[in-house]
Amino acid sequence: MTPPHGVGIGWRTEIAGFVAGLPGLRFVEVVAESVPADGPLPDGLVALRERDVAVVPHGVRLSLGGAEPVEPARVAHLASVARRLDAPLVSEHIAFVRAGGREAGHLLPLPRSRGAVDATCANVARAQAELPVPIALEPIAALFDWPDDELDEAEFLTEILDRTGALLLLDVANVYANARNRGTDPLALLDRLPLDRIAYLHVAGGAEHGGFYHDTHTHPVPSPVLDLLGELCARHRPPALLLERDGHYPPAPELRAELDALAGVSGYPVVT
Amino acid sequence: MTVLAATGDTWGISSPAFLGLYLLAALVTVAGTLVHRSRILAGQRGLAADQLGPQQVAYLNGGDQVAVLTALGGLRGSGAVGVRPDRLLTVGGQLPSGVTPLDQAVYHAARRNLRSRDLGRDEWVGRALTELREGLQRQGLALSPDQRRSARRGSRVLFGLLALGMFRTIAGLSNGRPVGFLVIALVAVAGAALLLGRVPWRTRAADAALRDLRRRNAHLAPASAPAYATYGPAGAAMGVALFGAASLWALDPGFAEQAEIQRQATASSGGASCGGGSSCGGGSSDGGGGGGGCGGGGCGG
Repeated sequence: MTPPHGVGIGWRTEIAGFVAGLPGLRFVEVVAESVPADGPLPDGLVALRERDVAVVPHGVRLSLGGAEPVEPARVAHLASVARRLDAPLVSEHIAFVRAGGREAGHLLPLPRSRGAVDATCANVARAQAELPVPIALEPIAALFDWPDDELDEAEFLTEILDRTGALLLLDVANVYANARNRGTDPLALLDRLPLDRIAYLHVAGGAEHGGFYHDTHTHPVPSPVLDLLGELCARHRPPALLLERDGHYPPAPELRAELDALAGVSGYPVVT
Repeated sequence: MTVLAATGDTWGISSPAFLGLYLLAALVTVAGTLVHRSRILAGQRGLAADQLGPQQVAYLNGGDQVAVLTALGGLRGSGAVGVRPDRLLTVGGQLPSGVTPLDQAVYHAARRNLRSRDLGRDEWVGRALTELREGLQRQGLALSPDQRRSARRGSRVLFGLLALGMFRTIAGLSNGRPVGFLVIALVAVAGAALLLGRVPWRTRAADAALRDLRRRNAHLAPASAPAYATYGPAGAAMGVALFGAASLWALDPGFAEQAEIQRQATASSGGASCGGGSSCGGGSSDGGGGGGGCGGGGCGG
């Protein structure tokens, strides 16, 4: 269970054969909810573990930012997946996906209030008590800010990370999207984030639509995002970075070129 | 009282003696056939599965039907073949270079606006399939008609023995002799003859190659929702070859529906296969009679 290192890719059944054929791959991420807590593991993941490729379970349904306590069964599932995959760490979002018994089906942004920090920290602590490995927290992209924000993004994240001791999973495309859609400077945010707490980065593609940049995960990684990645690595190079692609999978040469671009910008070895 | 020939014995041979000789002949035939079949069905070992093209894999996996589907899927993927609203095939572009004879045959059939389900009956397609099959026979993956006939020879001998036994039974009955054990032996011989008459059309080497390919290409199974764009035309073709029509439906549902591709025409296991092992042996029989030997519980087989 070596920690994530170098360039990785999100493992999805749709591209399992492509991922299996990457000779230099050292780590992947898998959506935790797609891995069964018992019964056979997907063959592709088993084969990667046999190659000693680290597999990081990435939760999307825990709702750590919810006002109500995180559901114990969901934490137990994440913990069991981490154990089964011998994962070095797990990751989840600073967001809520349900409230008052209603499922949003999306990752929703929290108001950056003291109350939200308290609720999130309490939920992260509940999860940490059950998880066998450290957790990395990922801030999400949002098209809007809540009107009652008391903290800015950097203060909000730093406060949560300091109080929980959690690691940071930073999504470069989200940082770009948030800054682009609000007209703020992404570098100013990078300069105020605890970059030394980053476990790994997400890098994903997106597209302009209706005057906004959307973090779609179904488009190529645009060059402004790669530029921002370069700026980040120049400040403090994180130990690992991961290409997230969730649909409209391109021909293998294009996907390899994206991985090579991440390696080129970060200076890590190419995995293709 | 071992009497080999006494007055009143049918054909001048006593019942126990006849039964003994009869069972011996049957057992020798079955044993010889099993050895002979095993040798023929082995095929050519050590053939690397990745030397096989998708259409060869498709043929081994599901015969003519899956081979034609694989060619059709490949041509559709490259845009060379399409389907019209009236469900007749049509050509949509030039035939790509480096295609197989089966691709050419399917392309020309599409130019003549055949329906997809009639492709297998097209003369040109039929010739290409024969060529494909004969290539596999030369590689020791499919059995030639001669090999299949040869593998079935033992079964013919057993049917001959069956006929002989039936004559003897009739003669014995009209002679007022007991025929119970002989009838039991006949049932066993008939069973062995039927089982050994079934010969698969691909060799064990082909079975092993298919197993290997299915394992290594599990990511192309329709259940994985494979990203065909990522795997490219070669991956898509191998998907159809290994997983049949379900792959073509996943690859291009609009085309599959319009061209009336049968959903259930997926990978059949391909012919009755009883691969020369002990499971196919028949002829476990009880040689009772007066001649001692095996009582009750079946001896040898």
